[in-house]
Amino acid sequence: MDLAPPAVNKCGHMHRSPLIPLALGVLAIVLLAIVGARITASDLTAELSLKAQAAIAKAGGTGVTARFSTASGMPSRHPLLIGGNALGSATRAKVARAVAAIPGVGGVRWENSSALASRAAPAERPLHCEDDVAALLRSRTIRFEEGSSRIDASSQGLLDQVSAALRPCLGAIIAITGHTDASGPEAGNLVLSRDRANAVLTALVARGIPADGLRAAGVGSARPVEGLDPNDPANRRIEFSVAESQPFKPTPVDTPGP
Amino acid sequence: MPIWLELLVLLLLTFAGGLALGWALWGRSPARGIEE
Repeated sequence: MDLAPPAVNKCGHMHRSPLIPLALGVLAIVLLAIVGARITASDLTAELSLKAQAAIAKAGGTGVTARFSTASGMPSRHPLLIGGNALGSATRAKVARAVAAIPGVGGVRWENSSALASRAAPAERPLHCEDDVAALLRSRTIRFEEGSSRIDASSQGLLDQVSAALRPCLGAIIAITGHTDASGPEAGNLVLSRDRANAVLTALVARGIPADGLRAAGVGSARPVEGLDPNDPANRRIEFSVAESQPFKPTPVDTPGP
Repeated sequence: MPIWLELLVLLLLTFAGGLALGWALWGRSPARGIEE
């Protein structure tokens, strides 16, 4: 059998194309990836699935399951969360974060939304219900009886609306801050603003808002409305701010005043 | 993204890194230059 002589360069050495070993290397790697994934992937996803179910149960996501496979049924580290449509958005976000926090889990996606949960949860993110409450209180204010923390009967309807507007933010931390104007001794103002914020908190709890997500604080006349004279009675107000943060982390309103 | 694809990307990157390292360490060997 007559074989063609191998290509020889001018110095007498064999001249081989470097592309051949390169291609063989790439081919070996593709095979290694497919075989390696076939051996390890199902065990890995089974383990992640178990951990995810535990995390979902702990985060309160009843009826939610995590599917660790792609649409074509291949094992994946990026779970699709299914079910839990009746859960509130705060709970859903909490569930997604709990699953995303499991080591080895990639991006988490809900079946019926395109929202991605990132591993790093934002520390404080304003929710739209804060704007809803601000809009309610822009034209009307929660009124109190003169010099007392008793909520005026005329404001009960407004409180109903406020509690309804806060409902989408259940699970988040809702800070209630009482403010007064600068008339009178500041120590008294501080106590009054705190008592009034607490009265609003109690009224909201009576309307079904869980107390563990509510924080009440009074700042007296320390923070007047921007552009207003500190003595202006319009500074007497209750402000709501909604922060999606961990319940264990003290929010600034938890810090006792000087 | 399925796991096999993630593994493939990871292995290809490792392969490319190995090639680059090998070329940097031995690919420019002066021995070859002397021989020619």
